[in-house]
Amino acid sequence: MSLIHLSDFSDRISPMLVKELRQGMRAKTFIVVFLSLQVFLAVMLFSAGAASTSDQVGSVISSIIFTFFSIAVLIIQPLRGTNALSSEVKGNTIDMMVLTRLSAWRIVYGKWVAIVSQSALLLTTIIPYLILRYFFGGMNLVTEMTALFLIFITSMGVTAVTVGLSGCSSVIIRLLLPVFGLLMLAYMLLVASFGRIGRSGGIMDFLTLDSTESRIGVAVYIATVVYLGYTMLSLGASLIAPAAENHAFPRRLVSVLLVLFILGLSVYDIPATWVLMTCVSIVVIPSIVVALTDSAMLVPTVCKPFVKRGIIGRTLGWFFYPTWNSGVIYSVMISLLGLATIFSAELLSHTGHMTYGYSDDLVVLFSLLGSLFFPAVWHAFLFRGENQRLAHYLLLQVASFVMLGVLSILADSMNNGGFLWIFAWHPLAYIAMLTEHSTSRETILSGVIVVDIAMFLILLIRGGMETKRSASIIQETRDNLEING
Amino acid sequence: MPALKVNNLFRYFGALKAVNGVTFEIPHGSVCGFVGANGAGKTTTMRILATLDYPTLGSAEVCGINVVHRPAEVRKMIGWMPDHFGNYEHMTVLEYLDFYARALGYKGQERRQRIQEVMDFTDLVPLADRFSNKLSKGMTQRLGLGRALLGDPQILIMDEPAAGLDPKARVELKHLIRVLAQEGKTIFISSHILSELGEMCDSLLFINNGRIVHHGDAETLKRGSDSVGGVLYDVQVDGDPQSISDWCVLQPNVEFLESRKNGGRIRIDTQDPTKAADVLARMVKDGLRITEYHREERNLEDAFIDILGRIESGQEAILPPPLPQPAEI
Repeated sequence: MSLIHLSDFSDRISPMLVKELRQGMRAKTFIVVFLSLQVFLAVMLFSAGAASTSDQVGSVISSIIFTFFSIAVLIIQPLRGTNALSSEVKGNTIDMMVLTRLSAWRIVYGKWVAIVSQSALLLTTIIPYLILRYFFGGMNLVTEMTALFLIFITSMGVTAVTVGLSGCSSVIIRLLLPVFGLLMLAYMLLVASFGRIGRSGGIMDFLTLDSTESRIGVAVYIATVVYLGYTMLSLGASLIAPAAENHAFPRRLVSVLLVLFILGLSVYDIPATWVLMTCVSIVVIPSIVVALTDSAMLVPTVCKPFVKRGIIGRTLGWFFYPTWNSGVIYSVMISLLGLATIFSAELLSHTGHMTYGYSDDLVVLFSLLGSLFFPAVWHAFLFRGENQRLAHYLLLQVASFVMLGVLSILADSMNNGGFLWIFAWHPLAYIAMLTEHSTSRETILSGVIVVDIAMFLILLIRGGMETKRSASIIQETRDNLEING
Repeated sequence: MPALKVNNLFRYFGALKAVNGVTFEIPHGSVCGFVGANGAGKTTTMRILATLDYPTLGSAEVCGINVVHRPAEVRKMIGWMPDHFGNYEHMTVLEYLDFYARALGYKGQERRQRIQEVMDFTDLVPLADRFSNKLSKGMTQRLGLGRALLGDPQILIMDEPAAGLDPKARVELKHLIRVLAQEGKTIFISSHILSELGEMCDSLLFINNGRIVHHGDAETLKRGSDSVGGVLYDVQVDGDPQSISDWCVLQPNVEFLESRKNGGRIRIDTQDPTKAADVLARMVKDGLRITEYHREERNLEDAFIDILGRIESGQEAILPPPLPQPAEI
């Protein structure tokens, strides 16, 4: 092989993408998926063509095309991302990459783009089959193209999740979580594709894009996938980044700006309150989860951009350093901002007054908010060190929701929820309390708010105990800046 | 300004003190061997110098640039070769080097030229089309060296590059390192094979339990002239070899170390050759029929063990002297 071979990819393409494409296109998984998809679709189309007597044959072909394509790009391709970063860490190659000009973000992004590019290749290969399917009739072009596009967008998002989590050293988190998530997605896909594609009603009606609601719905879905995808890739970058890189800052800043944007919309009374709550939740929940599991070591390189901007910069630093204690301060801040957004929408709505009152929705809202902080509180006392913070958090969170399920079943079967007060230290227990009627809603709401505030305070105090080292690093950075002018 | 400067460096991992107050300097253009048992703190120190880890306390500089404050600048000056690294599946040697050349910012013809130079130097041209994960250990090390050299670094930091290599691959690696040293690169290399380090290195750093216990050149270390351990002599006699050990018991400043076929190995507590001649004269005078009497060079393993033994028995202070320790983190 001559060096001319090395010109097969332009210098403009990211080195990481070049590497991943060279490797990925030779990987057995991709070759098998690619060829299998072609064989299945070709056999299916010829079989359908030979027996094209039914009026429904077009929609059946659509269902089969969409199903196989969905399995390929929503399940198999994303699963290839589950070892994307961990293999680099295990192979001791991540250090060598860090010493080049590749940042952690470019490494993660390159890996994601490589898998998505191969999914795009699969997408292009099914287009001829869709064109042929058009001649069988009964095809709603816009709807099916929109569905195809959304499947691909979802594939990009799911791939971002698997690639992002692949930076986690815990096998349970890296593999089991995506696998179970993807199995659930597969189930939903099968129901949606076999049940809906090509037929009237439900999702496919929504995808016609002929109503404002439909267009906004699709736009919000795309925005959600983009935001979650970015958050997950940024998480992956944080997990493999050297301490000198601060990935928490752009990630947290994006979340704050999005919440402020939603707050702006609420002021103008644009979305309905439930839409607002959904949007705030989509932005705030992943942001808090990632911030509470940030575990980088603070080093002068990270402090420098903040410290050199004086007191404002130094203050902002406490919200945006990639450390756990900074994550706690940030999480409390964005929680309050999210609550302010939701309540301001109520206050500023055309009615001019609060309509929530002591509703069940508020209990659920504060319970879920508290549940985000709950694993962090336990982690702060149960585990020492920064290793596996994300894995511990997620496992504790899963355990919390399992507990909620058990408590709800018990409360239902016993027809008496009085025992639930034993679990009053857990914010999710208050959701279970809603099923029993002996306690007033005001008491339940007060209880969950007290628990939330207590957790905020515990975390802030625990985080404060760790600020000593951060403060010394900040002081070292200030000294160094003064020495160097 | 030294190429590498480490000043009172500490690195703690929880309760484990991996590096415990290390201080040393390595001048430009020299080859320095870093010696120590497993877990002594070699890799941690090297990783800090390579900007891959952070000190708990103290400083490390590469060409006067602090590795913590300006890591990006440091990275442009160093080549890092870890003790083990995985290679990629489905990627040839040529593509492997191409990836790193691209990642280092080389473009177009310059990139191809640099890859060619590195492949020529490390003799990787015949392996260009081989998958990088199907190489032998020796080939893999050459590939690792090639990758480390792509950025044309002033300083090479190599962690156990000879580990697991067969004799032929070791000789090849040693040759490459010698050539690099002749080109004026500063090389900081750790190894368990002390004899090889002795041949390659201008100086040797011994580390034990996170502390530097010796810094000197290999020759003086082998001859023992920089230590208080005395000089070793091989003595052969015509007659009963036991007579030497019996004779040594009665002599001041002479210690019998071990028996050999026709004599034994003794240590004389002096650096002065005339005093050694006096000892020989006394032996002859006392009736020992000496057939051979020559000064032995200690090998580096002996020297290292001697140093550790003396430290354990409190005969030699650990250098540099202990400095105030940081608070627990």
